[in-house]
Amino acid sequence: MADKIKCSCESDNVGIFPCAGASNVGQLSNAIAVELHKAGVGNMMCTVGIGGRRSGLLKSAEGCERIIVIDGCPVNCAKETMEQAGINVDKHILLTDLGIQKNKDLDLETSQVKEFLSKVSEQL
Amino acid sequence: MKIEILGSGCAKCKKTKEIVEQAVNEAGVDAEVVKVEDMDTILSYGVMLTPGVVVDGDVKIAGKVPSVDNVKKWIA
Repeated sequence: MADKIKCSCESDNVGIFPCAGASNVGQLSNAIAVELHKAGVGNMMCTVGIGGRRSGLLKSAEGCERIIVIDGCPVNCAKETMEQAGINVDKHILLTDLGIQKNKDLDLETSQVKEFLSKVSEQL
Repeated sequence: MKIEILGSGCAKCKKTKEIVEQAVNEAGVDAEVVKVEDMDTILSYGVMLTPGVVVDGDVKIAGKVPSVDNVKKWIA
C-alpha cells in the first residue's frame, strides 16, 4: 500500500492521467498509464477525481512538476478535464494519432498494450 | 479545528509540521495538529503525493511544503 503514495522528497513528481474511457483506446490509455507507473516514469493518478473536483486529487496534481495526459480519442476528455480544473498539461498524448482506430471492444491484447506503450514512451 | 499532516515522516513532512505549528502559534488559533503516517488514511483523502495538509477534512496542499502565510489563510 505504501508504494501507492509518492513522497515529494524523491526526484521529479510526474503525474500521469489517462482518460480510461469506455472504448478500446480509452482502456488502452489506462493500461499504458499503469505500465508507465510500474516502470517508475511517473505516478498514475485519478483523472475522474479531477473532474469531480476532489480536493486530494486536485492538490496532488498541483503538486506535480510535470503532468502527462493520455487520451484515447480526439474527444480529448482527459485533457479537457485537466484544463477545466486549471491544471496545466505539459505533455498530451492522443492514442488515435499513433495508429489505432477507436472501437467499442474493451478487451485489450497484451501485444497491443506493449506496442502502444512503446510508442507512447517514445513521445515522453 | 483539526489539522492533519499527511506523510511518511520524511524531511518535507517534518518541515511541513513545523510550519503548520508555527502558523497555529502565530495566528493564536485553537487547533489540534496531528501527524498521519497511515497510508490507508492518506489514500482516503485522495492524496497521491506527500506531504499533505488537511484542515477539517479538506485537503489544502499535497506534494509541497506550504508557507506559513498560506497555512494562516487556511486556518483564519
